Amino acid sequence: MDSSLERRYFTVFKDESKLDINYVPSRLPHRDHQLQLLSQFFRFALERPGQMAQRVLITGKIGTGKTVLSQRFGLNLEREARERGINLHYVHVNCRECGGSAFLILQQAILNFYPNFPRRGYSAEELPGMLMQVLDEQNAHLILALDELDALIRVAGSDPLYVLTRIHEGRLGAPQRLSLICILREAQCLENLDPSTKSTLQRNIISLEEYSTPQLRDILNDRVNLAFKGGAVSEQTLEFIAESAASEEGDARYAIELLWRAGKYADASGSSEVLPEHVRRAAVSLYPAIRREAISYLGLHKKLFLLGVVRRFSQTGGAFLSMGDAEEAYAVACEEYGEKRREYTQLWKYVKELSALDIIKTQLSGTGYRGKTTLISLPKVPASDLEQELIKVLNTGGK
Amino acid sequence: MAIEDVLSSKGRVKILKILAEIGELNTSRIARRAGLNYATTIRHLQALEKAGLVRHKNFGRIRIFRFNEGNPRARIVKRLIDLWE
Repeated sequence: MDSSLERRYFTVFKDESKLDINYVPSRLPHRDHQLQLLSQFFRFALERPGQMAQRVLITGKIGTGKTVLSQRFGLNLEREARERGINLHYVHVNCRECGGSAFLILQQAILNFYPNFPRRGYSAEELPGMLMQVLDEQNAHLILALDELDALIRVAGSDPLYVLTRIHEGRLGAPQRLSLICILREAQCLENLDPSTKSTLQRNIISLEEYSTPQLRDILNDRVNLAFKGGAVSEQTLEFIAESAASEEGDARYAIELLWRAGKYADASGSSEVLPEHVRRAAVSLYPAIRREAISYLGLHKKLFLLGVVRRFSQTGGAFLSMGDAEEAYAVACEEYGEKRREYTQLWKYVKELSALDIIKTQLSGTGYRGKTTLISLPKVPASDLEQELIKVLNTGGK
Repeated sequence: MAIEDVLSSKGRVKILKILAEIGELNTSRIARRAGLNYATTIRHLQALEKAGLVRHKNFGRIRIFRFNEGNPRARIVKRLIDLWE
């Protein structure tokens, strides 16, 4: 290869995908005990499949390893079941990605077995029965992990969970095929459920504590070995990232994202090593309040709406934006991306959803405004940074 | 049903090709892929099922068709399509 090209494409990374949010490492430092606990809860699935069903709740703050713990466990259990000739599937569904829709969540579970299952033509109420029929037919057992369960509870209330936790009651004598792993940040969210569902779910709880600095260092160390070239990340840099993440409530996801971004800054500056300065620059660009992941989950028009809003904030420098102004700004963003704009009712829904995700804040206008309007504010992130992030996601196929 | 009756219809052959390629599919998606209307698709599927070449499963209101792997004729027809395509 031409030496100038080599220089241009020099990178500190060996395998960037190991820092991806969806990567499930084979080893989970400082979560061995919890992994063991999950194995205990689901021991029956390997020893006496069909004899019982289990419901486990995993709680913990953001970046405490809830998702990866469940996924690692699922992969391990599937492998072990395969070796024993048991048809056991682990399906991980992010309820927030499904917009809290019980229909889409259960549909994903069925699509795991029938990838060509029709996407429409039936109701949400029919789906639990269909899922059990599919499982019976394939003599399969399913562990359904409902990640970000709060989204489902918020949108659909108790009913879907009630049905899922009681699904075997109407099938006396038939094998119990469906177990649940419910993942959420705070068990408090379960207060919105009816008492019987709540008590069913609260029987087995695994609470994950925030990671400490040394624990974060171990996690980062593993990822550095997998993702970076030898010697690209020094002990000092690692320590620096671990400490930064520890001050963000022990958020490992933040730590890994910071590590990845710092690597990108090192690449951009042509450095063969990730230096603390790269970490500092990465930290400025990375707001723990709103993540790439949270933005990429948004639908196209929600992204466009948010883009319009943040642009208007950048232009005006004001603290609040009325619904009317936001609508105009959104129309401009739609025009830019060649999309047909959605109507007001839909935008109103977007505002409520973005507000529920804590990306924007809303309040009713008081004096100084004619009539009544909703005022939008952006309390957590500088508008220009969010704008850049949105443009990046929109331009890299995040449409 | 005689073989010439089964295979003389372009629609039926199209449906068999789709099922050979995709595996399992519901009626309306078979119809869409084959470029046939719903009623015609159902008629062809019923004929193919009567000939033992395809079978179906119901999930509530959803009816999913697939090759009837238990039938030697169906297996041979599928193999013929696989080889041809």
